[in-house]
Order: sequence, then structure tokens, then C-alpha cells
Amino acid sequence: MTTGSEREDKGSAQSGVTRRAFLKGAGLSAAAAAGIAAGTGVLDSALAATPPLQVVGPGRRPITLNVNGSERRLEVEPSATLLDVVRGQLDLIGAKRVCDRGSCGACTMLVDGRPINSCTYLAIDAEGKRVTTVEGLAAPGAPLTRLQQAFIECDALQCGFCTPGMVMACTALLARNPSPARPEIAAAIAGNLCRCGTYQNIFEAVELAARRGAGGGR
Amino acid sequence: MAANTSEIKIRVGFGDSFRDLTVRIAEGDVPPYEPGTRFDVIGAAAPRLDAEAKVTGSARFTYDQNLPGLLHGKILRCPHPNANVKSVDLTAARAMPGVKAAISFPEVFRTEAVRFAWEGIAAVAAESEAQAEAALRAIAVEYEVLPFCVTREDAMKDGAPQVGRRNQQNVRRIYPEIPFTRDGTIDEKKEAARQVEMREAEAKVDRILKESDTVVQGTFYTQVQTHSPLETHGVVCTWENESLVCYCSTQATFAVRHELTHHQGPVRATNARVLCEYVGGGFGAKFGAGREGVAGALLAKAAGRPVKVMLDRREEHTTTGNRPDSHQVLAMAVAKTGEIRALRARSWGTAGTSPAGAGAHNDVMYELGEIDKIEYGVRTNANDARPLRAPGFPQGVFALEAMMDIAAASIGMDPIEFRKKNDAHPVRRAEYDIACERIGWAAKRGAPAVPRGGADGGRGVGPLRRGVGCASSLWFASGGGGAKVLVRVHKNGTVEVRNGAQDIGTGTRTILGMVVAEELGIRLADVATFIGDTNDPAGPGSGGSTTAPTLTPAARVAAHRAKRQLLDAVARAEGWDAGNLDLRGGKVVGRDGAALAREIDFRAACGLIAEDQIEVLGERPVLDKDHPNYGGLADTNAGVQCAEVEVDVETGLVRVLKVVAVADAGKLINPKLAESQVRGGVIQGVSYALYERRIMDRIEGRMVNADFEFYKILGAVDCPEIEVVLLDVFMGHNNTHVMGLGEPPVVATAAAVANAVAHAIGVRIHSLPITPRKVLAALAGEEVRG
Repeated sequence: MTTGSEREDKGSAQSGVTRRAFLKGAGLSAAAAAGIAAGTGVLDSALAATPPLQVVGPGRRPITLNVNGSERRLEVEPSATLLDVVRGQLDLIGAKRVCDRGSCGACTMLVDGRPINSCTYLAIDAEGKRVTTVEGLAAPGAPLTRLQQAFIECDALQCGFCTPGMVMACTALLARNPSPARPEIAAAIAGNLCRCGTYQNIFEAVELAARRGAGGGR
Repeated sequence: MAANTSEIKIRVGFGDSFRDLTVRIAEGDVPPYEPGTRFDVIGAAAPRLDAEAKVTGSARFTYDQNLPGLLHGKILRCPHPNANVKSVDLTAARAMPGVKAAISFPEVFRTEAVRFAWEGIAAVAAESEAQAEAALRAIAVEYEVLPFCVTREDAMKDGAPQVGRRNQQNVRRIYPEIPFTRDGTIDEKKEAARQVEMREAEAKVDRILKESDTVVQGTFYTQVQTHSPLETHGVVCTWENESLVCYCSTQATFAVRHELTHHQGPVRATNARVLCEYVGGGFGAKFGAGREGVAGALLAKAAGRPVKVMLDRREEHTTTGNRPDSHQVLAMAVAKTGEIRALRARSWGTAGTSPAGAGAHNDVMYELGEIDKIEYGVRTNANDARPLRAPGFPQGVFALEAMMDIAAASIGMDPIEFRKKNDAHPVRRAEYDIACERIGWAAKRGAPAVPRGGADGGRGVGPLRRGVGCASSLWFASGGGGAKVLVRVHKNGTVEVRNGAQDIGTGTRTILGMVVAEELGIRLADVATFIGDTNDPAGPGSGGSTTAPTLTPAARVAAHRAKRQLLDAVARAEGWDAGNLDLRGGKVVGRDGAALAREIDFRAACGLIAEDQIEVLGERPVLDKDHPNYGGLADTNAGVQCAEVEVDVETGLVRVLKVVAVADAGKLINPKLAESQVRGGVIQGVSYALYERRIMDRIEGRMVNADFEFYKILGAVDCPEIEVVLLDVFMGHNNTHVMGLGEPPVVATAAAVANAVAHAIGVRIHSLPITPRKVLAALAGEEVRG
């Protein structure tokens, strides 16, 4: 059982395919849209503030993604998720598709430093932003981050399938809160499921890294 | 093996209590470690060897195999819970964009029967996942749709739809087992004799129940739990002529290989290499290639290109096995003095379309007196059972341990005192005291339920009620034969350890390296360990906690023989007596560990090897086919857990605050990894106790919550504090004293949590998971089953 995570909501003005634009573009009847808007109030003003609808696709579209500090020119389907593009085209396989709907966190990447579920984040929405995957934390042969080192020392992994997502969520946590209390650590990974049962080891690893002054660095 | 054995004296025990034991060991075996041995590598909390690969994301799982020219395979699923497939037409699908191959399951698996919703019907491979999914929609299937039942209650009703085919009845006795003849019919003569035995046991227990001081009874229900490994089942297959290379997310590489090469199987590869360097969890569900594996192999062959088939989350929940549910009715006769006189147990469980595996082990652990036990498996139109971490135990022990508490209360005895009175296990007896002390049993059981004045005057504050509960465990794994470990000591001083079995996250790779490093007197870092490749020597499936006790003795034998050969080479070169030499601290030393006149380090010693390398294939020693292991301290390992919970009596929400888990698994090779295993077992146990439940829609016949939003597994914010106490036990059984620790820690947890909840709120909830609704109903004097 988990509570809501601290993930960024998906959608941005970059591609124009925001949730708000989708509501309009999906041909909802005015009455239905008004019904939703009337219910929320917030959506009403959001709809008014939405930039003009931009159609993306059909067909592949060239984009440039900044992944782990390097600019990558790619051609992607507008519907392709950031996860599938990074895994399939860049062969960065740390992030995993586990639930495919943003409920397990195994696909966690950082976009402009904030953790997102890359399985529900369109690749085209990542244009112009800094994408960091687990492979971007420490280059091959370079020293690991203090957090990664602490994960190893605290045995904060078993099968290892959730581990990249956990490492990314905890990296983001330490960047914004260098000495988190245990409930704050639990909240930071509330959206990351582990089936082997490594949570307590992860708490200990984050605490160890924090004591050593990790703050996301080496 | 076997015929040649020799008698030796070993020492078994733990803590400060050891005794001599005379045992027979197989020829070629090495005497087990002696208590008091100073270990250099074993017993150290070394980080697991694959930790770096896992924290950097470079560990490449089956799901991560991006082979050149890779196609994506998808499986068409049947929406009907019970049907016969009349026809499958792939013509249109084959013509869809990007499609390179398509297969029909009734053809491949030679059955038209579909007996649960989401069973596979056909599969296609295409250039992209989206193209494969589009092609599935173009497959035309004609079904004969049949009536169905998806719950145990419905399947047991008079006139319920028949789940199976031919003469298969929905309800079948599974214990005592029905004797079958070779042609699959019931052996009536043997069955008649069994009926007599059952009636005798029933009569005997009847008598004891009538004459007993106290009889307690209880009816218990547990839910269906799915394995939910994060990496779903799947394969990446590629062919080189008739030879198949199959990356498979599995916990049994060799079983998968066998399945794919079997001459009567659907794939029949002339040769197959199964690779599984990393697997994202299995928990008992991944012992075979599965239909998805077969589909991957056949699609790759038909397309002439590599194919990846990985299940999605819905497929994983609905087609890859589960822990069956249970309905258990127990009665226990107890003497006023605390001895259990008899146990009666009747249980029904549904394991899906097959009745196998639906038993609940509710007659274990304690000295229970006369036992009268009958179990039934119930067929339903739902996915079958597969072993799930300690199959049959968490559900059976939940009921048994509830009965232990109820019985103790009925005679006014402390629950732990009552257990100790009926428990002969030497290790568990010690563990009760440790668990009690660590959880603060005496003070917490004695405190009143409602606070007196302050926050710490009782077991709660405001609507929050605290309670503690206890339960124990056992397991049987001392390993078996059939495994070999290859050790190579190269002339340049490098050491290589190879076994083709897999590491499912337990640390198999690491402890293999540790056992070899210890034997060769070198550091773990000096040993390269290779696993998960069926081109390497045979290893076991990782089931029943048998991997560690099967492989570590083989590794030790191989390393020991390699060491003797190396020391022979040294002795020859130096003119020394090899019998007086040993390896320790990276050097050649005297038998007693003393330094030698001339110092030779390990690498220099390796330079003296005449050939390029020493290569030893060490076989797992076994006494004989039926008795792989020798005697020991006890037949089983033990374990005691105590849980402390806090229940909100206004909302019904249960929080597990703390679990103390006292565990043992023979000799601990790496206590850090052992502790992780126990913590993981406890977490899965709490998750089972409070959150997890497969929900079937009785109208549509499908699983409603086949995802991770509504199939709840325990998350970080629900994680209790877990205090693990590990006992290092010189168990006997095999040359490393190692027993497995996969299953044991999950056996007791749900029972301990349930007992703690009963203590906290003063009423017992007889069914899992313990949801807020059930807590509120119980407080209102009602009972909710499901």
C-alpha cells in the first residue's frame, strides 16, 4: 500500500499536448467540459489559459533530448514514452517498465532534477529539459555517488529490478533535502515498489549517504 | 555416488551448546566446518558481488536484452474464463504491417480448452510493440463459451459448472492423497484402505476431543496472493541453426533448458543455451519457460530473427501462478497442564484449474498429539497455483498459530509459555526467549489495553490500541544432489568459479565466491564467480530454499580439491610434504596456520602449477538418492517472530510497528545477506497479512485488480521496523552446515501480525488480509470472510 509519490505531473507546454489541451482536443462536448470545469473551478481558468492546440504527428518526429548531459538527436513517435525511447533507442536499460502506469516507480528518471515516472512521460515532452537516468549518476569507471556506495554497503538491493528507480528517487531526495528524517525518506520512495523487501535497507543507505554529506554528489 | 561412505565424528550446536555426533559422509566429501574455526571470509558481511551492477543500472536482465534486429512478441488473451477454442485464424494478422511471425496456441500446445480468463490463444512477433498489439486485434478466434465459476464457494455448490474436462470434479481430496493407478484412474483397493485409516484417525481424535479438559475450535480464511515479481515472466530468444539461445527471467535455468529441448515438447531445440545472469524476482513462479517462453522460441524460429516476449503486469498477475486461498476448520484438544492432545483439521483451497498445491500446512511445528487431517483442492476457472515462498505455510501457520493463542487463553497460559511447552525444537526453544526479550513481551502482554492516564500507561492512546503477538516457523532445506561447481585456479593466480544456476536476489553468486575464497585462503575480491548460463555445470532450480545448501557443499568440495592440487604443486617444487601445507591469508602456510620458512604467496604458488590451470569439477556429495544429507542437530531449521501492531479502532487501520524476527539457517555464510533475506520475508508476510488479495469478478470471471494500484503490495511508508536476530547454527546435514533461508522468514509473519491484532483489540479476525473493514466488523461483533 502506498500513498501518493512526489512525482511531477506529466504534460507540459513544450509539445502542446497537455492534459488540458487533450481535454479540449479530444472533442469533449462543451457541456461535459463545463461540467468538469464547474466541479473544479481550477480547471476552468486553466482551460482559458491554455495555449493554442498544437497537433503533433501522426508519424515520427525529430527531437533532441539532453540525456545525461549529452544531446541526442532522435526520431520518435509522438506517443512514445520517455522510458521506451531511452531504453530502446539509447540502450540505457537501468530504468524498467514494471507496471506501465506510474504506480511502481521502477522507471524513475530525473527531468530537470525532479523525479518522474518515465513510463507515463512522453519523450517529446522532455525536449529542452535535462534528463538524467541512473547511468548518468556515475560514468563507467568513474567513482559511484555516495548514495550508490551506501546502497552497496547497506545491501539496499536484492534482485535489483527496482534499484535504479530507488536510487533515482533517493538521489532527488538528497538533492533537495541533504539530511532527511526516516519518514521523509519513506515519503520520497512511497511511489517506488520493491517486492524483495529492501525498504529498511534503503532507509539506512540514504541515512548513511546523508551522514557522509551526499547531497547528490560524490 | 553413495555406496562408499565413511563414519566420522562431527560437532553440532549453536551458541555455547555443542555436542558430538557420529555421522556417515559420502566418499569425496569434506568434513563439515568445526565450531570454533577462525574464518577469514565466511561470516563477513561482504557486499554482494553484483551490487555495483545493480546500483548503476548496468545489470542486464532478460527484459533489458536489446539484440540487433529484435522483434517484439505479444500474446492474444482469451476474455472468457471457460471456453473451447473452435478456430484461430491468423491470416489477417500475418498481413499486418511489421508482422514477421504468428502462432496459434491450440496448435502449439495441442489443447483447445481454455479454463481461465487471460489464457493465451495466439502470439505474434512484429517490428514494434505497437505493431504486434495491432496484429493481435486482427486475429479471428471462434470460441465455444462455457459456464464458469471463479470462487471456491461457487465451485463447491451443487450443480456448479464443471471447471475441468472429462471426469474431473471440482472438489478433490488432496490429503491424504488419492492413490491413482498408472492409467490415471483411482486405485480403488488402496483408496479403500486409506478410507479406513482416515476413519480410524477421525475416531481416535473424536475420542480425545470428547475426553479432553478443553477443546478449542476455529474457522479461518486466507486469500489468493500473486507472486508479483517486478520483472515479469519472459524471454528473449534467438536461433543459430537448430541451436536456441534463450535469455529467460527464471529461477531454474536448467529446467527451462530441458523444457525447450524436450523431444516431445513444442520447441524441440536440438541444443539450447539458457542465460539468466540477473532475474528480477521469482518467489516460486518462474520454474519453467512457460507458454510465453515457448512462444518466444517458436516466433524467433519462424521469423528468423531474435524475439522478445515479456508479459505485461496484467498477464503477470493473471497467468503466472499464485498462492491458493484457504478455508480451514480446526479443533484442538488441550490438557489443563498445557499439553496439546489432538488436532483436527479440514481445509479447502482453490489453486485454480488444478487442485494440486491447495493444501494448508496447519499441522506442523508443535507436538500436536493425534492428528486427523483432510485437505481438499477446489478447481475454479482461475489461474493455477505455483509455489509461492513457503507454499502452504503462511496460510496454514496463520490458522495454527491463531489456535495456539486461543488454546493458551482457554487454559489461562501465556501464549509463548504454551508454545514452549509443546515445542521440542532445540533452536526454536532458544529463539522464543530472544524474541520475547527484544519485543518486550512481558511488559507489553501485561499492560492494560487502554491507557491509564498518560500516553505510556497502557497499550494505546485515544483510538489507537497496541498489541503484540508471536508465531514460529520451520523449514526443511538442507539441499540435495545433482549439482556441480567448477573451480579453476589459473597459473596467473586468478580464480574462477562457475555454476549454471541463477541468483534470484538471494546472494547465491556471492556466497559461492565466499565459500571458495575461504577454502583457498584468499579474498572474495580475488574470485570471479559466474552463474546463470546452462553451458556451465548443472545447478538446482531456486526453490524450497535449496540453492545455497545444494551449491555451497559442491563449491567447497571443488575448492578443497583444487587447493590440494595446488599444494601438491608447491610441495613438489619446494620438496615439502603437501600434507603439512595449507592456504590462508593469501599465502601457503603450515597445516596449523603457522608461517613457513620460505614465504610463498598465493599467486606465486599458482605459478608452480605444471599445466595452465587447475580445473576441478566438484559434485555435490550425497549419501544416497533418498538421503542426500547426513544427520544433524535437528531435521528442520526454526524461527520465531514477534510483531507489535497499532490498530485504530475508529478507522480500522492496522499498522505494524515492529517485527522481531529470530531466524536460523544453519551456518551463516554472509550474515548481511541473510539479514536482508529475513527482512524481505517479513515484509512479504506483513504485505500478505494486511494488503494483498486477488479479487475475482464473479460475473465476468476475471481478476479485477491485476495491476499495482489495486493489488496492494507493501510500500515504504507501511514498512515496519524489522529487527533481525540471526543464530549461527552448526547444523550438520552437509559440509558447510548451510540451510536455505528463502522460505523460512515468511512462514510466521502473517500469523504473528494477526495474533498481535487480536491482542490489541480483544477480538480475533479470522481471515486475511486484515483490512479496516474486517477490523471494524470484528469490533462490532460481526465477521467478514473475504
